[in-house]
Amino acid sequence: MGYAVDIFLIAVSAALINNFVLYYFVGICPFIGVSRRVEMALGMGGAVTFVISIASFLSWTITTLVLMPGAPLTRWAAGFFLPPEAAAAVDLTILTYIVYIFVIASSVQFVEMYVRRFYPPLYKSFGVFLPLITTNCAILFACLVIMGHVVGVENPAEAWDLGKALTLGFFGGVGFTIAIVIMAGIREELELCDVPEPFKGAAITLIIGGILAMAFMGFTGVDSGLRAALGGG
Amino acid sequence: MVSSAWVTIGLSAGVLLAMAMVLGYVLGWADRKFRVEVDPRVVKVIDVLPGANCGGCGYVGCGEYAEAVVLEHEAVNKCVVGGQRCALDVALIMGVEVGETLPYRPIVHCGAHYEDRLGRHEYRGEPRCSAANLVTGVQACTYGCLGFGDCQQACRFDAIHVVDGLATVDYQSCVGCGACAKACPRNIITITPFKSEQVLAVACSNKDKGRDVMAVCRVGCIGCGACARISSLFRLEDNLSTIDYDAYTPECSLEVMEACKKCPRKRLVFVGIPTPEDRRKARDLEAPDVVEPDFKTTVDDTEWRG
Amino acid sequence: MADQPTATERFVQGILPENPVYRQLLGLCSTLAVTNGLKPALTMAGAVGFVLLSANVIISLIRNLLKPHLRIVVFTLIIAAFVTMVDRFLAAYMYSMSKALGPYIPLIIVNCIIICRCEVCASRQSVFTAAADAVGQTAGFALALVSIAAVRELLGTGALAGVRVLPAAWPDWVVMVLPPGAFLTFGLLLALVNWVAARRGGGG
Repeated sequence: MGYAVDIFLIAVSAALINNFVLYYFVGICPFIGVSRRVEMALGMGGAVTFVISIASFLSWTITTLVLMPGAPLTRWAAGFFLPPEAAAAVDLTILTYIVYIFVIASSVQFVEMYVRRFYPPLYKSFGVFLPLITTNCAILFACLVIMGHVVGVENPAEAWDLGKALTLGFFGGVGFTIAIVIMAGIREELELCDVPEPFKGAAITLIIGGILAMAFMGFTGVDSGLRAALGGG
Repeated sequence: MVSSAWVTIGLSAGVLLAMAMVLGYVLGWADRKFRVEVDPRVVKVIDVLPGANCGGCGYVGCGEYAEAVVLEHEAVNKCVVGGQRCALDVALIMGVEVGETLPYRPIVHCGAHYEDRLGRHEYRGEPRCSAANLVTGVQACTYGCLGFGDCQQACRFDAIHVVDGLATVDYQSCVGCGACAKACPRNIITITPFKSEQVLAVACSNKDKGRDVMAVCRVGCIGCGACARISSLFRLEDNLSTIDYDAYTPECSLEVMEACKKCPRKRLVFVGIPTPEDRRKARDLEAPDVVEPDFKTTVDDTEWRG
Repeated sequence: MADQPTATERFVQGILPENPVYRQLLGLCSTLAVTNGLKPALTMAGAVGFVLLSANVIISLIRNLLKPHLRIVVFTLIIAAFVTMVDRFLAAYMYSMSKALGPYIPLIIVNCIIICRCEVCASRQSVFTAAADAVGQTAGFALALVSIAAVRELLGTGALAGVRVLPAAWPDWVVMVLPPGAFLTFGLLLALVNWVAARRGGGG
């Protein structure tokens, strides 16, 4: 029961309370650039969610098995050269960023090839976004948050397992999709309005984003309320 | 035993190397397994096309047109932006012959600015040509340019602007995609082949005759037929002079100049890229005051009555 | 190629005419996130500057060895290496600032400014030009960050770089240091820059 509550709270937090775009400011570039039509926004959001989930899975796996101090594979490899205590202390987290970006770039490439081959209509609708997603902050951010909850946690029992990592990734992508679709809907209406010349384009989008962020601020504190209501985790 | 620092460095290098190898292998496998056969000619055609993605060829983007040319034997000379040179390049790739293509450019068949239009009333409505076209009384002439700028909105190349109420094409920026012609609700913009940099045009679309035209516009074509009598290039259709652009060649200038002089309403004008002489003349002209229309919409003053 | 901008042109362009934040709209994630105070903003500008300069120089040195379809991956890996250096440096010598900036230092890896400059300038021009470009773009980036941070911190906490400037009677507009404040400040400043640029460039 406690575990399910935890998963639920992580999901709600990632999607709404600490929305990736409106609270953490990641994924702003597609938010401003791609959010002009709702279908395109949905396509972009779907692509990002898909890639974030894959990247979360891979980054958690690699961090837990190889990078963190005391990781099984590293300990085994270092055991050939060092006494067991020293082998357990070998810390490869210096490689984190390079490894993550490597993984993200490769998984995006892999997904693009797969979708292009087996789902051509899907590729036509959002395939063009996939190379853009490689440099999307949201993916790397999700991986870093997961790393933060796995490495350097004082109490090893609190370290996140795969389920929590995947939840954060997937629902972070869902939150991104929600924000970008709302923005696209508003911008479609904005096309018919008389926006003053200096504000046209990115400036008015940012101001609307600010008002949207204010609206989402209304969710602050919901997670502690939910936690209390669901009996704590 | 080796020191811990060296082991860390060694393992880091090992991890990176292993990752590079594994990922390289996986991606290479995926590249072979998930290969999509693309006709290499499609790629070559895409390279040759201008890449403006304007839709003038009738396809959504240059990529779609390239696929249509290679896979469905579409005509190679449909790209308006690329013109003749592009058509020749594509024909070379496909191994076909191509006839001559001309650049297509829009001609606005109206020459009345705000002060020439009679019977204008204050219009309180959505400031769009498509909306204003549905109501009566905006201006007396029901054929001519309304001046709310639907064409200007549709143009992605900033090549048509409403100047003093009349849509005016900037032929230096125009690529000939045809978006303005599609946007005009009165269909007064035609996309015409330009056999030279400047062509003759009839700057009017009014199909009424004589007095009726003069009652609605100071400069509209009255259908007198003077031009048609001078040259067979002009034909009167529905009280409106039309030019036969298939027969039009830059060489028929003598007749054409006489017809232009004879026109009592001065509706025969040359449109196109300005010649150096035009530029010299324009330098001495004073720019006219641009009249900004004060169009109110219904939300400005009226209350919402449900 | 004869028509490529010179080093001085690259440097000058980077500060205002091709300002990475206000004109090119790149690197917005960092811009919005770290501008709730002057000190984080300057630290971030310094970090980005170091990474940009190093990456530009290295990539300019190896530009003839790059295969076209692997460029972006190579750029990203080189940038990731330098960002790791910056991150460790900050964690060692400026620990509180490192904690305040949090995940935004590693996000420099995917900061569009750096990849864009590498792509546009470093992979095509000599080392000196690439270095000048990096310095110019960093100056522009710092200018942008400082302008937004100054407004947000001043209105949000009444202080600048931690030093109280406004009188105590000023009710701190806390929203300015929260996410909505970031969007609104940046949007309004961007509109201001657009207006100034239009007046200068247009018929002004």
